[in-house]
Amino acid sequence: MAERPGQEPAGALGGPAAEPAGGTVDTSRGPGRVLVAVYGVFALAAGARAAVQLATQFDEAPLAYLLSALAAAVYLVATVALSRSGRRTALVACTVELVGVLVVGTLSLLDPAAFPDETVWSNYGQGYVFIPLGLPVLGLLWLRHQAEADRPR
Amino acid sequence: MVAATVVALVLAALGGVSTGLRRRIGAAHVAGAALLEALLLVQAAVVVVGMAGGHRPAELATFLSYLVSVVLLPVAGLLWARSEPTRWAGTVLGVAALAVTVMLWRLLDLWAVTRG
Repeated sequence: MAERPGQEPAGALGGPAAEPAGGTVDTSRGPGRVLVAVYGVFALAAGARAAVQLATQFDEAPLAYLLSALAAAVYLVATVALSRSGRRTALVACTVELVGVLVVGTLSLLDPAAFPDETVWSNYGQGYVFIPLGLPVLGLLWLRHQAEADRPR
Repeated sequence: MVAATVVALVLAALGGVSTGLRRRIGAAHVAGAALLEALLLVQAAVVVVGMAGGHRPAELATFLSYLVSVVLLPVAGLLWARSEPTRWAGTVLGVAALAVTVMLWRLLDLWAVTRG
């Protein structure tokens, strides 16, 4: 028997979920919304932190703080692009992120002196449970999935 | 503080469960988010009283921005999860709850390190 939303009363855990009717192309729906949520949190966290660092202690580690600000900007762009189904922009943002986390991560390991203070991307995002490393990969996979759903069958 | 962390983790788990069961969010999620929000508001009040009493946490600007955003998170997460018709609504709420957990932990960190 097929479950349809509205057929059974919503319990404490809520009624049955609506399943996407195949071929829906919207990067802000379903799993995409989870991705947007995580990106949003990161844009907020990285942005606030970078703003405070730039405003109060810019002289201590200008490179690290500018990188933090750049990372925050990229997260913000990715958040907006994903929530509005701007796939090309989202693709660029996710790619920049992946490259950024790999390059900065590698540099911060090779030359720790150049990064006296932590950035979001230092040591491949170790300070943020490696989420900065996983997020762009998930984003790119999701965008590819969307592109495939978009193709006429 | 500890109570808020526990509620946030339970809420995150509830969100994960409803995604696993392919359900939308329901009364349990709303109640959990409301309880979490209430605890966060109490905590914010305690912090304001403490600061009025002369306690100054380290990195004041960071501390205050965290304090404000942590109160907004459960509300934003709940509103957004409610407008999501698929089973991923629970995960959205779970992400918000986990973010609250991390921020609480950071807040406690900054609060414990007193400046002057």
